[in-house]
Amino acid sequence: MPEGILCNKKMVDTKEQLDALLADAGGAQYYKEMKQLDVDSDALWVTIQKSLKSRLKTWLEICAHCGMCAESCFYYTANNRDPRQVPSYKIQSTLGELVKRKGKVDNTFMQVCMDTAFSKCSCCTRCGVYCPFGIDMGVMFGYLRGLLFSQGFTPWEMKIGTGMHRIYKAQMDVTTEDWLDTCEWMAEEWEEEYPGLKIPVDKENADILYTVNAREPKHYPQDIAEAAVLFHLAGENWTVPSEGWEETSLAMFAGDWAACKMQVENVYAAMDRLKPKRMVVTECGHAYRATVIEGPYWAGLKSGQPPVESFHYVEWVAEALRTGKLKIDPSKKIKEPVTYQDSCNYIRNAGLADIPREIMSYIAEDFREMTPNREHNFCCGGGGGLNGIGRYREARNIGMKVKRDQILATGAKLVIAPCHNCWDAIRDMEEIYHMGIKWSFLKPILIKMVEVPEHLKPRDEG
Amino acid sequence: MFKKILFATTASPSCDHAARVAFDMAKRYGSELTVFHVLGIPSRGFSQFVKDVRTGETVSYNDDYLEWVKEEIKNTYAKQLKMHENCTIEALTGIPHTEILRAARKEDADLIVMGSTTREENEGTYTYRNIAGSTLQTVTKAARCPVLVIGRPAASFWGGFSDIVFGTDFSRAADSAFMFAYKVAKTLGCKLHLFHACDISGVHAGKLLEQYEIEDNLRIAREKIRKMYVPRMKGFDDYEIDVWEGIPYVEIVKYTRERSADLIVMAHHTREPSPEKALLGSTLEQVVLRATCPVASVNRPDKVIDL
Repeated sequence: MPEGILCNKKMVDTKEQLDALLADAGGAQYYKEMKQLDVDSDALWVTIQKSLKSRLKTWLEICAHCGMCAESCFYYTANNRDPRQVPSYKIQSTLGELVKRKGKVDNTFMQVCMDTAFSKCSCCTRCGVYCPFGIDMGVMFGYLRGLLFSQGFTPWEMKIGTGMHRIYKAQMDVTTEDWLDTCEWMAEEWEEEYPGLKIPVDKENADILYTVNAREPKHYPQDIAEAAVLFHLAGENWTVPSEGWEETSLAMFAGDWAACKMQVENVYAAMDRLKPKRMVVTECGHAYRATVIEGPYWAGLKSGQPPVESFHYVEWVAEALRTGKLKIDPSKKIKEPVTYQDSCNYIRNAGLADIPREIMSYIAEDFREMTPNREHNFCCGGGGGLNGIGRYREARNIGMKVKRDQILATGAKLVIAPCHNCWDAIRDMEEIYHMGIKWSFLKPILIKMVEVPEHLKPRDEG
Repeated sequence: MFKKILFATTASPSCDHAARVAFDMAKRYGSELTVFHVLGIPSRGFSQFVKDVRTGETVSYNDDYLEWVKEEIKNTYAKQLKMHENCTIEALTGIPHTEILRAARKEDADLIVMGSTTREENEGTYTYRNIAGSTLQTVTKAARCPVLVIGRPAASFWGGFSDIVFGTDFSRAADSAFMFAYKVAKTLGCKLHLFHACDISGVHAGKLLEQYEIEDNLRIAREKIRKMYVPRMKGFDDYEIDVWEGIPYVEIVKYTRERSADLIVMAHHTREPSPEKALLGSTLEQVVLRATCPVASVNRPDKVIDL
């Protein structure tokens, strides 16, 4: 049973393993080793028998192959209605076969499964909305990704991603020290314009525990500062945890369920330790899904709920605007045509479709809906980890055409996307297709238009 | 005076003039110099691919690539490195302005030296976050230490600083700029020119000022300089005060040329981070692009107090 040095069934638990993976330019050696990787059919079948429960079993069996899901899939429409892109075909020919053959499959088959699970499905779960039986291929592909991961068949970046979670408890190599330093830095840098601005760490019994996406401390620290400014202006009693601040879960994209559990328990431990009244997640879709929707199950919480009530950032913004905690200067509302990107992960998975519309009604003069929208909206093309995987870049770029056309059809010049993956995908889309649009998170837009209460203004200059 | 200098460079020809000043200064003033290069922008989520800032190509980032880039920097500055050995080379990936600011904070740098790339020259410049603005804008606005920007060949930088122009708009940030200009002038034995340009650029919008209004403004500004800055220069008398009228950036550049000054010190505290708007709005940016001497942007007192 040959296992590669980099591509194998082992979990990445040490820094040495992680560094070795990172040193492999573009995953060249990793994918080379993957070709030699043996499939442990017995173990695979044992796992399937233990974990393939009645819902997925039934779904596999009752699928009538009616093809009603075809048009629901953006990959299908973006690829000239290629029959191989019909969701039911995609899952039946991979997971369906795997179960039918009782795990007795070869290396080539596993690689086909991996390619299908990562380059032909972003787990956006849109097909589930249109299936007459309610069969959700996104959920099933999530399950298949887990099986593939247990056998070592996962894209190189995914293996790195789960390693990061296992070692740093974050999707990137941000240590506790880096995180605390970034918070201090941002408070210092922005304090001059917003006197009294603080980023309180580990404050107990705060009204809000704020948690982020590791990419914020790593690459966009101003995002943390912007969140701090808005909480400050809204007069919130808030805090960030020193440990358990990272909400995202590349492990969820990869199907490394043990790492998912570790990651989310770290956040829940912060909740238990600091006892906040509620938790607010930054502008990220999959982070919200991982911590608030799926997380409780990974952590084995019987209630199916996180230890404290948890909100997505759009919910906090809507509430702050509704209750007047944040006031918009009417003259500064967005004048140009603007549209809104519904993130699959908190629209379809959590039903938050109305909230963004409420926000737009406060901040935009010319809001234009994409068609279709809300829970019918298409994935940006970068969901399910697709943004980060080099091997499937081309497939993702083709998939993005659907969102591109949706955006262009609105005539909007600005897309608001309160989700890191959507934000990235739209940025990439602009780079590839030159659409002439801008894109933004909510925070920088709000900062430009909120009224600063008199007592929080900086002293007059000069 | 400048114990630690952080030279943030793209290691491309657009930074050559800045390199000359950075190395020259470090040698002359015995400073530790860090040549700091952000080699690529991680633009693909958590992926291991980065966009090379010099070529614009997507590269797979790893230790070998990093070493190769450092070697390239060594070659680029081989001549300067021979002259000044107290120098370290650092390279990493990230959003350039974020990493420059992070490094300056981490190393407790006394001065950041940067080149200014013009907007026409798209190779090598990369406005990453469409809404946040360019590297220069963000670094000069947010840095705690003075930022020395070299936009064009620094013609007069041959013998260290001798004449310093402090351009003021009387803002609070300009206070820190003044302290820096004064302390540098005092320590290095330079002449200090305290200068203000009264803005009459409204003429383009059809707003004509009466001559007596202009003259009043000139008088008021001169008085303001005397009141605000002169009492703070105890025992230092090698200074002159001048107030001209016109378009501020033009006047500052003209005045500097006339006085053969070799350093301009100003504050940059525009609140508008949008590159399109700031291009027209920021006097400092225009001065940087046009002056033939280094321009120091100082907004905060932190690093100036201990000079």
